[in-house]
Amino acid sequence: MQLNNLPRSAADSRTPAPNSRKCGNGKGWVICPLPDEPSVRLLSAIQFTYNELVAAYNQTRVDYIVPMPMNATRLQEYVHTYDVDLELSCVGMEGEHILGLAMLGVRPGHTWVTRLGVLPVKRRRGTGQLLMECLIEQARNLDVGYVTLDVIKHNDPALRLFLKLGFREMRELMVIRRPPGPPANGIGPYKVNLFDYHHAVALLHQRRTIPSWLDERESLLNAGNLSALRVELPTGDWGWMVYQKTVFQLARLVLQTEAGDPHRVGLALIHALHALHPGLDTKSENLPLDCPHWPAMQEMGYIESFRRIEMRLDLA
Amino acid sequence: MKTILLIEDNADNAKIAMRALKPHGYRLLHASDGESGLTMAMEEKPDLILLDLGLPDLEGQTLAALIRGSPEIGRVPLVAVTAWPPDTASQMAKAYGCDGYISKPISPRQFPSQIAIYLEEGIDDAVE
Repeated sequence: MQLNNLPRSAADSRTPAPNSRKCGNGKGWVICPLPDEPSVRLLSAIQFTYNELVAAYNQTRVDYIVPMPMNATRLQEYVHTYDVDLELSCVGMEGEHILGLAMLGVRPGHTWVTRLGVLPVKRRRGTGQLLMECLIEQARNLDVGYVTLDVIKHNDPALRLFLKLGFREMRELMVIRRPPGPPANGIGPYKVNLFDYHHAVALLHQRRTIPSWLDERESLLNAGNLSALRVELPTGDWGWMVYQKTVFQLARLVLQTEAGDPHRVGLALIHALHALHPGLDTKSENLPLDCPHWPAMQEMGYIESFRRIEMRLDLA
Repeated sequence: MKTILLIEDNADNAKIAMRALKPHGYRLLHASDGESGLTMAMEEKPDLILLDLGLPDLEGQTLAALIRGSPEIGRVPLVAVTAWPPDTASQMAKAYGCDGYISKPISPRQFPSQIAIYLEEGIDDAVE
Protein backbone atom coordinates (compact mmCIF):
# COMPACT_ATOMS: atom_id res chain seq x y z
CA MET A 1 0.00 0.00 0.00
CA GLN A 2 1.44 3.34 -0.98
CA LEU A 3 0.54 5.89 1.59
CA ASN A 4 3.66 7.99 1.74
CA ASN A 5 2.09 10.73 -0.30
CA LEU A 6 -0.86 11.22 1.98
CA PRO A 7 -1.22 14.82 3.06
CA ARG A 8 0.44 15.69 6.36
CA SER A 9 -2.59 17.59 7.50
CA ALA A 10 -5.54 19.51 6.24
CA ALA A 11 -3.28 22.49 5.81
CA ASP A 12 -0.62 20.55 3.93
CA SER A 13 -2.19 18.83 0.95
CA ARG A 14 0.51 17.45 -1.26
CA THR A 15 0.59 15.71 -4.58
CA PRO A 16 -1.47 12.54 -4.39
CA ALA A 17 0.17 9.14 -4.85
CA PRO A 18 -0.43 7.32 -8.15
CA ASN A 19 -3.17 5.27 -6.55
CA SER A 20 -4.80 8.17 -4.74
CA ARG A 21 -6.66 11.25 -5.82
CA LYS A 22 -7.90 14.43 -4.29
CA CYS A 23 -11.62 14.71 -3.86
CA GLY A 24 -13.92 16.93 -5.76
CA ASN A 25 -14.82 19.00 -2.71
CA GLY A 26 -11.20 19.94 -2.17
CA LYS A 27 -10.99 18.08 1.14
CA GLY A 28 -9.45 14.78 2.05
CA TRP A 29 -7.91 12.02 0.01
CA VAL A 30 -8.75 8.65 -1.49
CA ILE A 31 -6.49 5.62 -1.64
CA CYS A 32 -6.95 2.31 -3.44
CA PRO A 33 -4.73 0.07 -1.32
CA LEU A 34 -5.41 -3.21 -3.12
CA PRO A 35 -4.65 -3.01 -6.85
CA ASP A 36 -6.48 -6.28 -7.48
CA GLU A 37 -9.56 -5.03 -5.58
CA PRO A 38 -10.09 -1.49 -6.87
CA SER A 39 -13.54 -1.32 -5.29
CA VAL A 40 -11.90 -1.20 -1.85
CA ARG A 41 -10.84 2.34 -1.05
CA LEU A 42 -9.63 4.25 1.97
CA LEU A 43 -11.02 7.76 2.25
CA SER A 44 -10.26 10.62 4.55
CA ALA A 45 -12.96 10.80 7.23
CA ILE A 46 -13.29 14.54 6.62
CA GLN A 47 -15.35 13.69 3.54
CA PHE A 48 -18.16 12.31 5.71
CA THR A 49 -20.68 14.03 7.93
CA TYR A 50 -20.76 13.34 11.65
CA ASN A 51 -24.06 11.55 11.13
CA GLU A 52 -22.50 9.27 8.53
CA LEU A 53 -19.47 8.58 10.69
CA VAL A 54 -21.47 7.87 13.82
CA ALA A 55 -23.86 5.57 11.98
CA ALA A 56 -20.91 3.57 10.66
CA TYR A 57 -19.15 3.58 14.01
CA ASN A 58 -22.24 2.32 15.86
CA GLN A 59 -22.64 -0.46 13.32
CA THR A 60 -19.04 -1.59 13.80
CA ARG A 61 -19.59 -1.90 17.56
CA VAL A 62 -22.98 -3.52 17.57
CA ASP A 63 -21.66 -6.87 18.79
CA TYR A 64 -19.05 -5.55 21.22
CA ILE A 65 -19.24 -6.45 24.90
CA VAL A 66 -18.91 -2.75 25.64
CA PRO A 67 -20.49 -1.20 22.51
CA MET A 68 -20.24 2.44 23.65
CA PRO A 69 -22.60 3.82 20.99
CA MET A 70 -22.54 7.52 20.22
CA ASN A 71 -24.69 10.10 18.54
CA ALA A 72 -23.42 12.84 16.23
CA THR A 73 -23.19 15.38 19.06
CA ARG A 74 -21.15 13.05 21.21
CA LEU A 75 -18.85 12.17 18.35
CA GLN A 76 -18.30 15.85 17.67
CA GLU A 77 -17.42 16.39 21.34
CA TYR A 78 -15.14 13.36 21.21
CA VAL A 79 -13.30 14.70 18.17
CA HIS A 80 -12.81 18.03 19.92
CA THR A 81 -11.85 16.66 23.34
CA TYR A 82 -9.34 14.16 22.06
CA ASP A 83 -7.86 16.22 19.21
CA VAL A 84 -8.98 13.76 16.57
CA ASP A 85 -7.88 14.90 13.12
CA LEU A 86 -10.63 13.85 10.73
CA GLU A 87 -8.50 14.77 7.74
CA LEU A 88 -5.97 12.13 8.78
CA SER A 89 -8.59 9.65 9.97
CA CYS A 90 -9.69 6.92 7.67
CA VAL A 91 -12.87 5.30 6.36
CA GLY A 92 -12.73 2.01 4.44
CA MET A 93 -15.22 1.71 1.60
CA GLU A 94 -16.27 -1.04 -0.77
CA GLY A 95 -18.18 0.52 -3.58
CA GLU A 96 -20.61 2.84 -1.84
CA HIS A 97 -20.66 0.90 1.42
CA ILE A 98 -18.59 1.66 4.49
CA LEU A 99 -16.55 -1.31 5.67
CA GLY A 100 -15.05 0.28 8.73
CA LEU A 101 -13.27 3.29 10.09
CA ALA A 102 -10.41 4.38 12.31
CA MET A 103 -9.55 7.76 13.78
CA LEU A 104 -6.29 9.44 14.63
CA GLY A 105 -5.74 11.82 17.53
CA VAL A 106 -2.79 14.14 16.97
CA ARG A 107 -0.80 15.96 19.64
CA PRO A 108 2.78 17.20 19.77
CA GLY A 109 5.14 14.25 19.63
CA HIS A 110 2.59 11.47 19.52
CA THR A 111 -0.64 10.24 18.01
CA TRP A 112 -3.46 8.01 19.19
CA VAL A 113 -5.56 5.51 17.31
CA THR A 114 -9.20 5.38 18.33
CA ARG A 115 -12.68 4.29 17.21
CA LEU A 116 -11.25 1.51 15.07
CA GLY A 117 -14.02 -0.79 13.94
CA VAL A 118 -15.10 -2.95 11.04
CA LEU A 119 -18.68 -4.00 10.31
CA PRO A 120 -19.27 -7.49 11.74
CA VAL A 121 -20.14 -8.97 8.33
CA LYS A 122 -17.03 -7.47 6.74
CA ARG A 123 -14.45 -8.74 9.22
CA ARG A 124 -11.62 -11.23 8.63
CA ARG A 125 -10.80 -9.70 5.25
CA GLY A 126 -7.92 -7.49 6.35
CA THR A 127 -9.88 -4.23 6.49
CA GLY A 128 -8.84 -3.53 10.08
CA GLN A 129 -5.20 -4.00 9.16
CA LEU A 130 -5.53 -1.70 6.13
CA LEU A 131 -7.09 1.00 8.31
CA MET A 132 -4.38 0.61 10.94
CA GLU A 133 -1.56 0.68 8.40
CA CYS A 134 -3.05 3.84 6.96
CA LEU A 135 -3.09 5.57 10.36
CA ILE A 136 0.43 4.40 11.22
CA GLU A 137 1.64 5.84 7.93
CA GLN A 138 -0.14 9.11 8.71
CA ALA A 139 1.66 9.17 12.06
CA ARG A 140 5.02 8.52 10.39
CA ASN A 141 4.39 11.41 8.03
CA LEU A 142 3.82 13.65 11.03
CA ASP A 143 7.28 12.72 12.37
CA VAL A 144 5.90 11.88 15.79
CA GLY A 145 7.79 9.58 18.15
CA TYR A 146 5.09 7.03 18.81
CA VAL A 147 1.49 5.93 18.40
CA THR A 148 -0.65 4.76 21.32
CA LEU A 149 -4.03 3.09 21.53
CA ASP A 150 -6.26 1.50 24.16
CA VAL A 151 -7.84 -1.87 23.46
CA ILE A 152 -10.59 -3.32 25.62
CA LYS A 153 -9.25 -6.26 27.57
CA HIS A 154 -10.37 -9.62 26.16
CA ASN A 155 -10.85 -8.19 22.66
CA ASP A 156 -8.34 -10.78 21.49
CA PRO A 157 -8.68 -10.36 17.69
CA ALA A 158 -7.90 -6.65 18.03
CA LEU A 159 -5.05 -7.33 20.44
CA ARG A 160 -3.52 -9.84 18.00
CA LEU A 161 -3.75 -7.33 15.15
CA PHE A 162 -2.02 -4.63 17.15
CA LEU A 163 0.75 -6.99 18.27
CA LYS A 164 1.22 -8.06 14.65
CA LEU A 165 1.62 -4.42 13.66
CA GLY A 166 4.37 -3.97 16.24
CA PHE A 167 2.48 -2.44 19.16
CA ARG A 168 3.51 -3.57 22.63
CA GLU A 169 1.46 -3.73 25.79
CA MET A 170 2.28 -0.95 28.25
CA ARG A 171 -0.16 -1.28 31.16
CA GLU A 172 -3.72 -2.07 32.15
CA LEU A 173 -6.18 0.73 32.74
CA MET A 174 -9.55 0.63 34.47
CA VAL A 175 -12.79 2.39 33.71
CA ILE A 176 -14.41 2.94 37.09
CA ARG A 177 -17.77 4.18 38.30
CA ARG A 178 -19.55 5.17 41.44
CA PRO A 179 -23.33 5.59 41.65
CA PRO A 180 -24.69 8.74 43.29
CA GLY A 181 -24.88 8.87 47.04
CA PRO A 182 -23.24 10.51 50.01
CA PRO A 183 -19.86 9.17 51.05
CA ALA A 184 -19.49 6.64 53.84
CA ASN A 185 -18.90 8.02 57.29
CA GLY A 186 -15.97 7.05 59.43
CA ILE A 187 -13.34 9.12 57.68
CA GLY A 188 -11.21 11.05 60.12
CA PRO A 189 -11.18 14.84 60.19
CA TYR A 190 -9.63 16.75 57.34
CA LYS A 191 -9.54 20.29 56.08
CA VAL A 192 -10.75 20.92 52.53
CA ASN A 193 -10.17 23.82 50.15
CA LEU A 194 -12.11 24.19 46.91
CA PHE A 195 -10.56 25.63 43.78
CA ASP A 196 -11.84 26.98 40.48
CA TYR A 197 -10.95 26.09 36.90
CA HIS A 198 -7.76 28.16 36.76
CA HIS A 199 -6.37 26.59 39.90
CA ALA A 200 -7.35 23.15 38.57
CA VAL A 201 -5.35 23.81 35.42
CA ALA A 202 -2.36 24.91 37.50
CA LEU A 203 -2.58 21.69 39.53
CA LEU A 204 -2.54 19.60 36.37
CA HIS A 205 0.86 21.07 35.58
CA GLN A 206 2.10 19.49 38.82
CA ARG A 207 0.88 16.00 38.01
CA ARG A 208 3.56 13.34 38.42
CA THR A 209 1.74 10.30 37.05
CA ILE A 210 1.84 9.37 33.38
CA PRO A 211 -1.62 9.92 31.93
CA SER A 212 -3.20 8.03 29.09
CA TRP A 213 -4.44 9.99 26.09
CA LEU A 214 -7.92 10.25 27.60
CA ASP A 215 -6.71 12.04 30.70
CA GLU A 216 -3.77 13.97 29.33
CA ARG A 217 -3.90 17.65 30.20
CA GLU A 218 -5.02 18.51 26.68
CA SER A 219 -8.03 16.20 27.00
CA LEU A 220 -9.02 17.69 30.33
CA LEU A 221 -8.65 21.26 29.11
CA ASN A 222 -10.63 20.50 25.96
CA ALA A 223 -13.34 18.80 28.01
CA GLY A 224 -13.66 21.82 30.30
CA ASN A 225 -15.82 22.22 33.44
CA LEU A 226 -12.83 21.49 35.66
CA SER A 227 -12.71 22.09 39.39
CA ALA A 228 -10.30 21.04 42.08
CA LEU A 229 -10.08 20.43 45.79
CA ARG A 230 -7.29 19.98 48.27
CA VAL A 231 -7.42 18.08 51.54
CA GLU A 232 -5.12 18.27 54.51
CA LEU A 233 -5.19 15.81 57.40
CA PRO A 234 -4.19 16.56 61.00
CA THR A 235 -1.25 14.20 60.45
CA GLY A 236 0.16 16.53 57.81
CA ASP A 237 -0.81 14.21 54.94
CA TRP A 238 -2.20 16.18 52.05
CA GLY A 239 -3.12 15.97 48.40
CA TRP A 240 -5.34 17.34 45.68
CA MET A 241 -7.84 16.25 43.11
CA VAL A 242 -8.90 17.72 39.78
CA TYR A 243 -12.25 16.63 38.35
CA GLN A 244 -14.82 17.51 35.74
CA LYS A 245 -18.36 18.32 36.81
CA THR A 246 -21.17 18.30 34.29
CA VAL A 247 -24.93 18.40 34.79
CA PHE A 248 -25.30 14.67 35.32
CA GLN A 249 -21.84 13.41 36.07
CA LEU A 250 -18.50 13.78 37.79
CA ALA A 251 -15.69 12.53 35.61
CA ARG A 252 -11.98 12.67 34.74
CA LEU A 253 -10.66 12.35 38.29
CA VAL A 254 -6.98 13.09 38.78
CA LEU A 255 -5.72 12.45 42.32
CA GLN A 256 -2.32 13.21 43.71
CA THR A 257 -0.90 12.75 47.19
CA GLU A 258 1.71 15.39 47.90
CA ALA A 259 2.67 14.19 51.36
CA GLY A 260 1.87 11.19 53.51
CA ASP A 261 -0.14 8.05 52.87
CA PRO A 262 -2.01 7.86 49.52
CA HIS A 263 -4.70 5.70 51.10
CA ARG A 264 -5.53 8.21 53.83
CA VAL A 265 -5.32 11.11 51.42
CA GLY A 266 -7.38 9.22 48.84
CA LEU A 267 -10.13 8.54 51.36
CA ALA A 268 -10.29 12.19 52.33
CA LEU A 269 -10.27 13.40 48.71
CA ILE A 270 -13.04 11.04 47.66
CA HIS A 271 -15.05 11.78 50.78
CA ALA A 272 -14.78 15.51 50.13
CA LEU A 273 -15.79 15.12 46.49
CA HIS A 274 -18.93 13.13 47.19
CA ALA A 275 -19.91 15.14 50.24
CA LEU A 276 -19.87 18.10 47.89
CA HIS A 277 -21.76 16.38 45.04
CA PRO A 278 -23.77 13.51 46.58
CA GLY A 279 -26.36 13.44 43.80
CA LEU A 280 -24.04 12.91 40.87
CA ASP A 281 -23.03 9.73 39.11
CA THR A 282 -19.25 9.36 38.71
CA LYS A 283 -17.21 7.82 35.95
CA SER A 284 -13.48 7.97 35.46
CA GLU A 285 -11.57 6.38 32.62
CA ASN A 286 -8.13 4.86 32.39
CA LEU A 287 -7.07 4.67 36.00
CA PRO A 288 -3.88 2.58 36.09
CA LEU A 289 -4.26 -0.74 37.83
CA ASP A 290 -1.50 0.16 40.26
CA CYS A 291 -2.94 3.55 41.18
CA PRO A 292 -2.16 3.99 44.89
CA HIS A 293 -5.55 5.66 45.47
CA TRP A 294 -7.62 2.82 44.02
CA PRO A 295 -8.05 0.88 47.31
CA ALA A 296 -9.41 4.03 48.95
CA MET A 297 -11.72 4.62 46.00
CA GLN A 298 -13.07 1.09 46.29
CA GLU A 299 -13.74 1.63 49.97
CA MET A 300 -15.73 4.72 49.01
CA GLY A 301 -17.99 2.81 46.62
CA TYR A 302 -16.16 2.78 43.31
CA ILE A 303 -16.48 -0.30 41.14
CA GLU A 304 -14.54 -1.45 38.12
CA SER A 305 -16.55 -1.33 34.92
CA PHE A 306 -14.05 -2.82 32.48
CA ARG A 307 -10.37 -2.76 31.61
CA ARG A 308 -8.33 -1.56 28.71
CA ILE A 309 -4.79 -2.37 27.68
CA GLU A 310 -2.69 0.60 26.68
CA MET A 311 -0.41 -0.19 23.74
CA ARG A 312 2.37 1.70 22.06
CA LEU A 313 4.23 1.60 18.77
CA ASP A 314 7.53 3.48 18.68
CA LEU A 315 8.20 5.10 15.33
CA ALA A 316 11.60 6.63 15.92
CA MET B 1 -52.86 -3.18 30.82
CA LYS B 2 -49.26 -2.84 32.03
CA THR B 3 -46.97 -0.39 30.28
CA ILE B 4 -43.37 -1.30 29.54
CA LEU B 5 -40.83 1.26 28.39
CA LEU B 6 -37.86 -0.10 26.48
CA ILE B 7 -34.88 2.25 26.23
CA GLU B 8 -32.68 0.74 23.55
CA ASP B 9 -30.73 2.46 20.79
CA ASN B 10 -30.21 -0.53 18.53
CA ALA B 11 -33.19 -0.79 16.19
CA ASP B 12 -32.75 -4.52 15.58
CA ASN B 13 -32.54 -5.33 19.29
CA ALA B 14 -35.57 -3.15 19.98
CA LYS B 15 -37.56 -4.88 17.25
CA ILE B 16 -36.76 -8.33 18.63
CA ALA B 17 -37.72 -7.31 22.16
CA MET B 18 -40.95 -5.59 21.11
CA ARG B 19 -41.93 -8.50 18.89
CA ALA B 20 -41.36 -10.94 21.75
CA LEU B 21 -43.53 -8.93 24.15
CA LYS B 22 -46.30 -7.85 21.78
CA PRO B 23 -48.42 -11.04 22.03
CA HIS B 24 -48.53 -10.73 25.81
CA GLY B 25 -50.84 -7.75 25.92
CA TYR B 26 -48.54 -5.10 27.25
CA ARG B 27 -48.58 -1.51 26.18
CA LEU B 28 -45.10 -1.12 24.73
CA LEU B 29 -43.16 2.11 24.47
CA HIS B 30 -39.76 2.51 22.90
CA ALA B 31 -37.16 5.24 23.25
CA SER B 32 -33.95 5.08 21.25
CA ASP B 33 -31.78 7.26 23.45
CA GLY B 34 -31.42 8.22 27.08
CA GLU B 35 -32.84 11.72 26.91
CA SER B 36 -36.06 10.71 25.17
CA GLY B 37 -36.22 7.65 27.44
CA LEU B 38 -36.12 9.81 30.54
CA THR B 39 -38.72 12.18 29.12
CA MET B 40 -40.99 9.30 28.16
CA ALA B 41 -40.56 7.68 31.56
CA MET B 42 -41.54 10.91 33.33
CA GLU B 43 -44.56 11.47 31.08
CA GLU B 44 -45.86 7.92 30.89
CA LYS B 45 -44.86 6.55 34.29
CA PRO B 46 -44.56 2.98 33.01
CA ASP B 47 -44.92 -0.15 35.13
CA LEU B 48 -41.49 -1.36 34.08
CA ILE B 49 -38.44 0.18 32.45
CA LEU B 50 -36.05 -1.99 30.44
CA LEU B 51 -32.79 -0.11 30.11
CA ASP B 52 -29.95 -0.80 27.71
CA LEU B 53 -26.76 0.18 29.54
CA GLY B 54 -25.01 1.31 26.36
CA LEU B 55 -26.82 4.36 25.01
CA PRO B 56 -25.58 6.96 22.54
CA ASP B 57 -26.21 10.07 24.59
CA LEU B 58 -26.59 9.47 28.33
CA GLU B 59 -24.88 6.37 29.62
CA GLY B 60 -27.25 3.72 30.91
CA GLN B 61 -25.81 3.87 34.41
CA THR B 62 -26.23 7.62 34.57
CA LEU B 63 -29.79 7.28 33.34
CA ALA B 64 -30.48 4.57 35.94
CA ALA B 65 -29.20 6.94 38.62
CA LEU B 66 -31.44 9.73 37.33
CA ILE B 67 -34.47 7.46 37.30
CA ARG B 68 -33.76 6.18 40.79
CA GLY B 69 -33.25 9.72 42.05
CA SER B 70 -36.56 10.95 40.65
CA PRO B 71 -39.47 11.32 43.09
CA GLU B 72 -41.91 10.64 40.21
CA ILE B 73 -40.46 7.45 38.78
CA GLY B 74 -37.86 6.40 41.33
CA ARG B 75 -39.87 3.36 42.42
CA VAL B 76 -40.66 1.99 38.95
CA PRO B 77 -39.08 -1.45 38.49
CA LEU B 78 -35.93 -0.98 36.45
CA VAL B 79 -34.15 -3.79 34.64
CA ALA B 80 -30.78 -3.43 32.90
CA VAL B 81 -30.45 -5.15 29.54
CA THR B 82 -26.80 -5.65 28.73
CA ALA B 83 -24.20 -7.76 26.93
CA TRP B 84 -21.74 -7.32 29.80
CA PRO B 85 -20.37 -10.48 31.42
CA PRO B 86 -22.73 -11.72 34.18
CA ASP B 87 -20.47 -10.71 37.09
CA THR B 88 -20.06 -7.16 35.83
CA ALA B 89 -23.71 -6.86 34.80
CA SER B 90 -24.89 -8.06 38.19
CA GLN B 91 -22.56 -5.74 40.07
CA MET B 92 -23.39 -2.75 37.90
CA ALA B 93 -27.15 -3.35 38.02
CA LYS B 94 -27.11 -3.69 41.79
CA ALA B 95 -24.89 -0.64 42.32
CA TYR B 96 -27.14 1.53 40.18
CA GLY B 97 -30.36 0.45 41.85
CA CYS B 98 -31.71 -1.80 39.12
CA ASP B 99 -34.04 -4.59 40.19
CA GLY B 100 -32.11 -7.00 38.03
CA TYR B 101 -30.55 -7.50 34.63
CA ILE B 102 -31.25 -9.49 31.49
CA SER B 103 -28.36 -10.64 29.32
CA LYS B 104 -28.10 -9.77 25.65
CA PRO B 105 -28.74 -11.14 23.18
CA ILE B 106 -32.20 -11.71 24.55
CA SER B 107 -34.00 -14.96 23.94
CA PRO B 108 -37.39 -14.12 22.39
CA ARG B 109 -38.82 -17.25 24.00
CA GLN B 110 -37.62 -16.54 27.51
CA PHE B 111 -37.89 -12.77 27.42
CA PRO B 112 -41.62 -12.51 28.29
CA SER B 113 -41.25 -14.69 31.38
CA GLN B 114 -38.12 -12.80 32.42
CA ILE B 115 -40.13 -9.59 32.16
CA ALA B 116 -43.18 -10.92 33.96
CA ILE B 117 -41.14 -11.55 37.11
CA TYR B 118 -40.48 -7.85 37.43
CA LEU B 119 -44.11 -6.97 36.84
CA GLU B 120 -45.04 -9.19 39.77
CA GLU B 121 -47.28 -11.42 37.77
CA GLY B 122 -47.00 -14.90 36.35
CA ILE B 123 -46.41 -15.40 32.69
CA ASP B 124 -49.80 -17.06 32.30
CA ASP B 125 -51.53 -14.02 33.68
CA ALA B 126 -49.62 -11.79 31.34
CA VAL B 127 -50.60 -13.69 28.20
CA GLU B 128 -53.89 -12.63 26.75
